Amino acid sequence: MHDPKPDSLLPLPTAVFHILIALADRDRHGYSIMQDVAARTGGKVQLSAGTLYSSIRRMLEQGLIEELAESPDPSSTDERRRYYRLTRFGKRAAVAEVERLTSLVQQARATGLVPGA
Amino acid sequence: MPRAKSIYRALLYCYPAAFRDEYGNQMFLMFAEQLGEARRTGGRLEQAALWARATWDALTIAPKEHWHVIFQDLRYAIRGMAARPGFTAVAVLSLALGIGANTAIFSLWHGVLHSPLPGVHKPEQLVMLSNPDNSGMWTGRWIGRADGPRDWLSYAEFEQLRDHAGSFSAMMASESSLNNWRVRFEGGDWEEARTRLVSGGYFQVLGVSPAIGRVFAAADDHAETPSAIISYSYWQRRFGGRPDVLGRTLTVRKAVLTIIGVAARGFIGETSGQQPDLWLPLRMQPVLILSGDWLHEAPPTKAMWLHVFGRLRPGVTATRAEAQANAIFQAGLEAFYAPFASEEQRRDFLDQHLKIHPAGRGASETRHAFSESLTALLGAVGVLLLIACANLANLLLARGAARKTEMALRLSLGASRGRLIRQLVTESLALAAMGSAAGLLLAGFLHGALVRMIAESDRAFDMSFALDPLVLAFAVAATLVAVLLFGVLPAWQVTKTGAGASLREQSRGATGSLGQMRWGRFLVSLQLALSLPLLVGAGLLVRTVYNLQRLDLGYPAQHLLLVRVDSREAGYDTARRASLPRQLLATLQRIPGVRAASFSELGIFSGGNSSSAIEVEGYAPKGTNDRESSLDEVAPGYFSTLGVRIALGREILDSDRAGAPKVCVINEAFAKRFFVGRNPIGMHLTTDYGDVRTTYQVVGVARNARTQGLRGDVEPRYFLPAEQSPFPANSPIFLIRTAAGSATVMTAVRTSIQRMDAALPITSATSIEERIAPLTAQDRTTAQLAAVFGLVALTLAAIGLYGVLSYGIARRTGEIAVRIALGAQPGRVISMILCETTWLVAAGLAVGAGLAYAASRLIHSSLYGVAPEDPLTLLVAVGLLLLVAVSAAYVPARKASRLDPMAGLRRE
Repeated sequence: MHDPKPDSLLPLPTAVFHILIALADRDRHGYSIMQDVAARTGGKVQLSAGTLYSSIRRMLEQGLIEELAESPDPSSTDERRRYYRLTRFGKRAAVAEVERLTSLVQQARATGLVPGA
Repeated sequence: MPRAKSIYRALLYCYPAAFRDEYGNQMFLMFAEQLGEARRTGGRLEQAALWARATWDALTIAPKEHWHVIFQDLRYAIRGMAARPGFTAVAVLSLALGIGANTAIFSLWHGVLHSPLPGVHKPEQLVMLSNPDNSGMWTGRWIGRADGPRDWLSYAEFEQLRDHAGSFSAMMASESSLNNWRVRFEGGDWEEARTRLVSGGYFQVLGVSPAIGRVFAAADDHAETPSAIISYSYWQRRFGGRPDVLGRTLTVRKAVLTIIGVAARGFIGETSGQQPDLWLPLRMQPVLILSGDWLHEAPPTKAMWLHVFGRLRPGVTATRAEAQANAIFQAGLEAFYAPFASEEQRRDFLDQHLKIHPAGRGASETRHAFSESLTALLGAVGVLLLIACANLANLLLARGAARKTEMALRLSLGASRGRLIRQLVTESLALAAMGSAAGLLLAGFLHGALVRMIAESDRAFDMSFALDPLVLAFAVAATLVAVLLFGVLPAWQVTKTGAGASLREQSRGATGSLGQMRWGRFLVSLQLALSLPLLVGAGLLVRTVYNLQRLDLGYPAQHLLLVRVDSREAGYDTARRASLPRQLLATLQRIPGVRAASFSELGIFSGGNSSSAIEVEGYAPKGTNDRESSLDEVAPGYFSTLGVRIALGREILDSDRAGAPKVCVINEAFAKRFFVGRNPIGMHLTTDYGDVRTTYQVVGVARNARTQGLRGDVEPRYFLPAEQSPFPANSPIFLIRTAAGSATVMTAVRTSIQRMDAALPITSATSIEERIAPLTAQDRTTAQLAAVFGLVALTLAAIGLYGVLSYGIARRTGEIAVRIALGAQPGRVISMILCETTWLVAAGLAVGAGLAYAASRLIHSSLYGVAPEDPLTLLVAVGLLLLVAVSAAYVPARKASRLDPMAGLRRE
């Protein structure tokens, strides 16, 4: 279904990377993803509904995430919500993106563009 | 809150349906929570920001989602096309043919019949005072007919109008026909170039500026300035666009001219479909056209040869301008004829007037000549496209039947019908786009071929294929109409049945619904109905060409050479010019292989004609028009050389010289008109030229012979011995009857003329076949194209019928298997299937016959020797269609009759 090589998806769009990070610790529904991203970035990144679901549609097609058949939270009363989970491929893609960014940061330091750690 | 929710729901409609169905509720929920949060914690500013983001999403994210769907559909469509290369090839090819032929013919139809003159400033404001549909020249006392407006004007008439008609802001004149002359640039060899003489105001009136150098000015009308303007395309083609072309000199006939400018790019002149290389000053006519001085009127003769164009002053109506122009024109005629014409003659001569024509499309003889055939061809290719679409719709229906399971499955999995239709139509669009791209390539080639075909009968015609916005819009429109016709119906049909029903049907082994069968049969009937008018039209046109080629000219149309020499260009004086024809004749008659030789003023199929007013003994004219007859001045032995039989009396002989009794020969048409019920031999007719009246005795009646036109009746004509004619001698055309091997005789003829005088130019030398070919070229072209279209239509109809029947039989495998198992003979199965086809074919042919009748009436004036409702042609066309239909039906029927009943039943 999905491309086995995560490299072909790099660089990941910002919204996609944020969603992958939000799903790293647990499965979430759309609103929860949006809230998590906002909280982690101190309100700097506010995902709109359109951006979020357009990204989710693409990530589902690419196999980065999957939709859960039922709510992971048995106490949840709201059955209308749809939950998403990071796939192994999604995790590999996130790792690949982190490596790409790390390498970029190292290069910037090595050339003295930014001060070293 | 409820209002905010409904606004957001409305915003969601910006997204594609599939996306909305999938995520709309989630987005809505999320938005509602965000809005609630903003209302609790923040103020109006947060709410406003939220709405702004939602609107921004609708404007930016929604289009991306739409693109995504289209891109997905396209990818799917291309994968589908690659998986069925056979179907794709047939579809693309038939669409390319349909769209290409339509675009090519539309481009030509538009270019010849409707497009404004290219490169001309505000062409819609231009008017013409001469006849846009006709070109040529006429010398004589008047126009030779008194039935309406003047075709061309003389130079003096133009000058009077230009100087006195205040209704026009400006006026110019141009030579109505295009010359193909030999020119020589300094230091070069003689080469051919297309030239036209134009007046000083030519470029100003048309609003054309030079690309480099300058153009003629109004002052050039008052002096003989030996200058020339070249066209932009000639500049590029002949001189590689080098600016040093200015100031170069060239020799044209007896004049040496200097190039002073290059006309603006894209400008081709005032005549549509002609592209002159050089424009030369009208004032140079006497040294450029050596047939006489056409600038100064020498009563009683006028030389009429000019087209006159002008622009009306603001606020002046065409009616007022026409009235003013006619007042000036009539005053000019009065002054011209008054000194020598009798009262009765003056009434005749003054019965001429000018008519103002809109001239935005320029002059064009081609337009008039090809208007009907081009419109008929455009109709034919339109029908062809319809047939191709019907055929494709049928193929798609059959293919749709095969994809029924896929469609049913997708419907049952929740895909909406709209989504499936959208995907199927996208596939059709992709097919049509490929067909259209290939079609445009084809259109370029076809256009070139068509232009060459038109140029066969109209040598000056030239028009390049331009993919201008209108032609492109037409091609796109044709493509969209095609998709609408062949793509939408099958998409609608294929997705029609409910998911459950179709899956059930599938489990029974059937491959399509009854509704689809009905559509398929309807489409095949439609194809047959549309094919019939194409076949009948083609048949009628082919018969026209056959009739024209087999036409009895009244003399043998082989082994006859026609040669013209121009003694004026060689600089002969009047006396030498007069004696040259007889001298030449004697030389030609001595050439081995020449059986007979003679000459005549008009020649054979030369495109010219002369006529004059005559008085016929014992004939009372029924009006002023009833005194005209065509004439020719001929050398001794004219009739025996040509092979025209003399019905009564004798032909013109060597003894009919200048001093001998004046005689003439008439043709049967002349006898029938002027001597009805009387014996013409010994009667007299009198010509009237200037102040000279000459009476001739009729000594012979020749059988009717076609010497000028192939169509229509042979005109009444009288023949005078060349040496007894009162009319000024011209350059006659020699007729040479050869025993065989015309080519070797032609070489000998050229050599003998050169030997007589190397400076004597041979202006034309052709065989009679070469003369006649251009006259039927248009008919042949139209017939060939119509025949090709008819055959394509026939092939497509056969494919359609075969497809529908094979598909129908596949659906009925079970039923046929049972019949065979119960003992039905193969012959019975075949006849059963053929019988079922009969009504379908019959319905198509019945409608088709009606269409064919209507179509044949449209082309009736292009026909010759065959009636539009000719039963034989209709019968042959119907027979041909039936034959093809039966053959197309027989193949699947035979296959069905050989069905193994057990295998068939098992498949059920």
